[in-house]
Amino acid sequence: MDFTISRHKDIDTSPKTAMRSKSRFRRKDVFGWLLILPSLILFTFYIWEPLLENIRLSFCSAKLYTVTGFAGLDNYKAVIGDVDFMAAFRNTFSYTFWSLVIGFLVPIIMAVLISETVHGKSLFRVGVYFPNIMPTLATIWVWSYFFMPGDTGVLNILLGKLGIAPSQWLNNAHFTIPLIIITMTWKSAGSTALIYMANISGISPDLYEAATIDGASIWQRVAHITVPSIFSIARTMLILQVISVFQIMYEPMIFKNGGPGNASISLMMLMYRYLTRDYNVPKAAALSVLVSIFLVVLSIVYMSLTRDKEDKR
Amino acid sequence: MKDMKINNRKRPVFFNKYAEKKDGVIRSYDIKSPSVRAWAIIITLICFFMAIVSLFPALWLFLASFKDIKEFTREVSIIPKEFDWERMAATWKAFKFTKFYTNSLIHVLGAMVCAVLFNGLLAYGFAILKPRGYGIPLALVLWSMMIPGTAGIVALFRNINNVGLNHSFVPLWFAYGANAFYVILFKQFFEELPGELLEAARLDGCGIFRIFTDIVLPLSRPIIMVVAIFAITGAWSDFLLPYLVLNGTDKTTVMVKLFSFKDTPTDAVSVLRASFFAIIPPTIIFALFQKQITDSAATGAVKG
Repeated sequence: MDFTISRHKDIDTSPKTAMRSKSRFRRKDVFGWLLILPSLILFTFYIWEPLLENIRLSFCSAKLYTVTGFAGLDNYKAVIGDVDFMAAFRNTFSYTFWSLVIGFLVPIIMAVLISETVHGKSLFRVGVYFPNIMPTLATIWVWSYFFMPGDTGVLNILLGKLGIAPSQWLNNAHFTIPLIIITMTWKSAGSTALIYMANISGISPDLYEAATIDGASIWQRVAHITVPSIFSIARTMLILQVISVFQIMYEPMIFKNGGPGNASISLMMLMYRYLTRDYNVPKAAALSVLVSIFLVVLSIVYMSLTRDKEDKR
Repeated sequence: MKDMKINNRKRPVFFNKYAEKKDGVIRSYDIKSPSVRAWAIIITLICFFMAIVSLFPALWLFLASFKDIKEFTREVSIIPKEFDWERMAATWKAFKFTKFYTNSLIHVLGAMVCAVLFNGLLAYGFAILKPRGYGIPLALVLWSMMIPGTAGIVALFRNINNVGLNHSFVPLWFAYGANAFYVILFKQFFEELPGELLEAARLDGCGIFRIFTDIVLPLSRPIIMVVAIFAITGAWSDFLLPYLVLNGTDKTTVMVKLFSFKDTPTDAVSVLRASFFAIIPPTIIFALFQKQITDSAATGAVKG
């Protein structure tokens, strides 16, 4: 395990602690490690080992879960050569694009607006957060009936009351991805908005007052005080959003099973297909390694950005 | 016209409350201007609209569950003709939902205990005990937050098969014991505990164990509750791992059932009623603990 190595490496001792007897420290360290060991075993079993094992599997040939030999890059070649892969690859970027267009600004606008209310503020907070606690599956089923084409689809009923002709919704391949993103935004925007609201309410009132004395209008205050104040958190949320949308899987799977045609299939959904339809474990592993690589790159970008933020403070 | 008059009389009350406004762009002194007053009303209306949009799908689900299949497929309406609880009960029985609810309950309770116990212990080690070399597992835990949960699912399922825990609740419970987000929530909380208090207890001769049970544990009740709530709603909604592990057994949970509708053609009304049954427990939990949930959602998620 890690700690046997790290024990020797670790030289972080403050003057105060160095004065106490060494044996007592050992005991305290051993106790500490014993306490966290069960949790570390769980992390190893559920997260760390599967990640490494996944990489190994992706280079092997296997019959179901039993490894039968070394396959080199064959699995990767098979994945990249797959017609569905190119569609899924393009779509995943399309999902990311639309989620940035639709999903990024909505929570910011929501947060700015709710921050300005004094009546029913807690109702608004609770209301917009509510979709977040609804189970994903239930929301997907509900939205699939909202998007039902024909007169009895819920959105078509509502549009009909406004005198607008019924739409095909998800059956129109051009709209499938943006509409799926709208449902995801509906579900998650409220919780993101709460994070922005916490930041907005942390802005010192003195800033606004000073700006008012200098003659700044309300719009100028928004542009020059509110927006810069949430800029760094917005950057973080942006990257977290990309990371999460890149793994989109259930929504396209249940709404249209990746269709119409291949119009909404995503990378993670393709992985699920390799696993449960083709029973091709190494191919599924290879695809998830490819996705992970991209996400690790994003994570590194995220880490370096947050480090910048800390340096500035 | 009548409405206008009532509105006019109410107006001062509506704006008076802005005097107490402590945050945001519009300040108490702005509210004298008529255009700002108009904006204040417009913004309140927009927020009201957003809340309705957020709540409408759940409300619709409730209403639509009362329709029978003919009404659902033919009638152009939102509100059902009659509220017939018998139909709901019939679907509940036909799907054997009592069984799924019981299974989900077993899943959720075990997950909650594991989430609090293991992540709490780990965070306690990271934040307070700090055994030598703890930086390495800490970094690994932080990193695992960045890596998608689904990325290792292939190998994880294989692991579960290898240790012979397939078709059992046990692997699903312990899965909640390894959650980097919960560890960070706990860690932040423990770090903000008053250090002097712990130091004083140590000087009085309290052992590590006594400090934990007599001081840390009672003070930690709020964070334990937050993590427990997150674990409950999370485990209730969880379905990919439960589906892989439990599908085809008699341990099917509510979400596994909902997920299986994807492959088995089921009539729309049954799917809707099942979805409605599925959102009841989280809705009740949310109604009870809305303040804890929204507060921790606003602060907890960012700092990690």
